Amino acid sequence: MLLQIRELQVGYQSRAILPPLTLQVEPGQLWAVTGPNGAGKSTFLRTILGLQQQVAGGIERGTSAIGYVPQRSEVDPAVPQRVIDLVRMGVERGWRVLDPLAARRNPAIQAAMRDADVTSLARIQWRRLSEGQKQRALLAQALAGEPALLVLDEPTSAMDMHAEASVFAVLERLRAERQLGVLVISHHLALLARYATHFVLLDKDERLALVGDRETVLRDPAFIERYGQVLDRGGRHG
Amino acid sequence: MVDTTSFWASWDLFRDAALAGTFAGAMLGLLGVYVLIRRMVFLSAALSQAASLGVAAAFWAQVQGAPAWLATPTLGALGGTLLATGLAGIPDRTSRRDGLLGAIYLVGAAGTLAIGTKIVQELQDIESLLFGSGVAVLPEDFRIIAWLALTLGLVQLWLHRGLLHVSLDRDGARIQRLPVRFLDFVLVLSLATAVSVSTRLLGALPVFAFMVLPALAALDLAQNPAQALLLSALFGAAAGLGGYWLAFSASLPVGAAQTLVAATLVAVLRVARLLFEWLQSSLAHRRHDALAHQAHEHGPECGHEAVAHGDHLDYLVDGHLHHPHDGHCDDHGRQ
Repeated sequence: MLLQIRELQVGYQSRAILPPLTLQVEPGQLWAVTGPNGAGKSTFLRTILGLQQQVAGGIERGTSAIGYVPQRSEVDPAVPQRVIDLVRMGVERGWRVLDPLAARRNPAIQAAMRDADVTSLARIQWRRLSEGQKQRALLAQALAGEPALLVLDEPTSAMDMHAEASVFAVLERLRAERQLGVLVISHHLALLARYATHFVLLDKDERLALVGDRETVLRDPAFIERYGQVLDRGGRHG
Repeated sequence: MVDTTSFWASWDLFRDAALAGTFAGAMLGLLGVYVLIRRMVFLSAALSQAASLGVAAAFWAQVQGAPAWLATPTLGALGGTLLATGLAGIPDRTSRRDGLLGAIYLVGAAGTLAIGTKIVQELQDIESLLFGSGVAVLPEDFRIIAWLALTLGLVQLWLHRGLLHVSLDRDGARIQRLPVRFLDFVLVLSLATAVSVSTRLLGALPVFAFMVLPALAALDLAQNPAQALLLSALFGAAAGLGGYWLAFSASLPVGAAQTLVAATLVAVLRVARLLFEWLQSSLAHRRHDALAHQAHEHGPECGHEAVAHGDHLDYLVDGHLHHPHDGHCDDHGRQ
């Protein structure tokens, strides 16, 4: 088990914005979190990552490393930082940050840069990257920590269709090869329907939280009412 | 008239003071990188003024008959800084944090001046505190700042990765389970001790200047934050020593001279960087014109990074966007 959520209620100042959610992420599963803008998806993600206090319920994160790709990086463009410096930060884990040589030894850095296709950008300053390149650099940073669970908040929102598809293909490969657990927020239903094993559909305004495996959620009337018959458009990849 | 030869001829007279300024410049310059990255410039201003108030209060307490071992200026500076640090850390939902820092700064500055008028015989010391016009450093004070600079340097060698991580990406640090509170504590303690000891010796003005200006120049030049730490420490040290030279040579107050040297460093290095970038850009442009397309054709397999640019695809070459079309290649400027 990588992540277990029991009757989790997320919100602000003790006020829940979504119904209680229960789910369990296992190795090799790709969970797609979708819903309209302002549905509470990022709040849900920030809560399970421990960046925001839950209103009620339990979260068990396990002991494995979690990688996180934010929608927009906090990296200040006024601070000089090359892509390689950013990716090195992803290797840090717990008190190991106090080991002065740990980050430079780790071969996972190069592997992560290859997986995210940013090897050629290693010496480029962060402020000179396009938005799509920044998202790939952040993906490399998250992968450098060799996480068992990767959490991504709209990781492809600034990418063109080709780059978006290649990121999902990388996630699918890592899921299959390393049994990586993935939890990803995205609006791209065609890609989600192709790669996701499980779905979470959220809608704050409708107080809706639909959770389950791919077929169950995609056949649910609440999902079809919003997005139509996604299952008919293509089967799951692999 | 600036007199350089006499400065070195008289070196023995004020060696300790000049080296104390150098050490203070180096350690405050280094910590200033965190101050700028975390956007807490106003905190450093407030802390240096609070330290001034603490020193002034110690002088006043001595005049009132307090035991000399208790009312030492260094303890006063440390007390003022720690009190200000504690106040600045109090969560306040009703007002902005920078408002609270402004209040600390104003109380520190006004309190120092007010106490100064009550202890006429120490007025010279109060002026030294505010503007860094003092030129003498006691041997024990010199030893304190030398050891502190060495200690903080070693702490930085050991912890700079973690301190930078927490300063640059707090959410990421928490998710990666870094010891965020421990690292915050180390940084605040470093700031508090460096500011209090340096303010006691140099005055509030150069302390504030050393925490802002060297880091500003370093972040402008460095390739990454770790390099910025090293450069900032060097620039701070240069401003500390150079300020003494300027003060001696041109008969200026030391604190003002140190601040001016640091500000000049920022300006000169900014101009140098702009010139370097312009030269680099011109050379890249020429190289591009002369060589880039004699034996090279851009395409999906050409080895250059493809970058979406408006309605077309460019290729990244030496930081420039190249747009191949209709049998030739345009330079679409820097990315």
